[in-house]
Amino acid sequence: MMEKRSPTQKKRDIILVTMLFIIMGGLFLFFRFFAFQTDASRAHVYYGSSNEPIVTIDFVNYRVLRNYDQGFESDQGDPYPIIDEVNRTITLLGDYQVNGVRQIVVISYNFDRKSVQVIEETSPNNICSREGESTGWPLICLPNRVRIEFEATDEDFTV
Amino acid sequence: MKKTKKMVLLANFLAIAIVLNIIESAIPVIPVPGAKLGFANIMTLVILYMYSFKDSAAITILRVLLVSILTAKLLNPVFFMSMSGAVFAMLAMGFFKKTNFFGILGVSVLGSVFHCLGQVTAGIFVIGSTAVLLYLPVMLFLSIPAGALTGVIAQRFLSIWQTYHREIA
Repeated sequence: MMEKRSPTQKKRDIILVTMLFIIMGGLFLFFRFFAFQTDASRAHVYYGSSNEPIVTIDFVNYRVLRNYDQGFESDQGDPYPIIDEVNRTITLLGDYQVNGVRQIVVISYNFDRKSVQVIEETSPNNICSREGESTGWPLICLPNRVRIEFEATDEDFTV
Repeated sequence: MKKTKKMVLLANFLAIAIVLNIIESAIPVIPVPGAKLGFANIMTLVILYMYSFKDSAAITILRVLLVSILTAKLLNPVFFMSMSGAVFAMLAMGFFKKTNFFGILGVSVLGSVFHCLGQVTAGIFVIGSTAVLLYLPVMLFLSIPAGALTGVIAQRFLSIWQTYHREIA
């Protein structure tokens, strides 16, 4: 029925696991600590599979650009995404639903630290809000289909 | 008789796989939220070694489908990622088992690695961005100990099973 694992296979298994562990460990350390050293100049917030950012945070010129509407309004009648310049937050509608109601994703931004953080979001594991503050690492809220990516260009894009 | 026995066993294995899959999503793996140990894969491995690739593939696909129905995740983005991960892992394990180059531990680890690759591939389509690729190093790094653990458990399961099986046969 089932063949036994031969000693050669056992040896190969151990070599394979050790090799993979070292290679993947190296890759992991490289990406975590060396890949995002430069300061970001902009952060883009995307929704769904669209490649046009819904909101762009410009760390160079200290402003937040709202690129398009989600077509829904909050209970207070504000159209999503809502940009709160006092508390420095962006609120948009995610894809995750609770009893048929789409849940909001709240993102806070910090011009001084050039960072973005997802502070509120509803999903089974809260993966993206538990990622914490990011200055270059992309934040992905999968069930909500919201993602934040950073861009590190030195040029000024004032129009 | 033999056919009925196989059918009953596979049904039981499917049930075990479903339970493992649901339980393991409640066990947090400390460094990365959302990462799972892949215990459900023990059943895929066991069936692959006890019966055939075909049976193992059928049970794995059924497991993913049934778990997503039970947890109300059918056809949502996460579902596509689990399905693609499971299919990649299954194909890889089927292939590496066939080559007979590695033992069950190696096959399990390779399956685990391909599971990540499958998940990320689906993630690129779901999210519409290659930013998901940046999660690959963390996932791959964690997948090795997780895959090794599943492999060891599956191997232990199979050796105990073989002893027991001889007694009842």
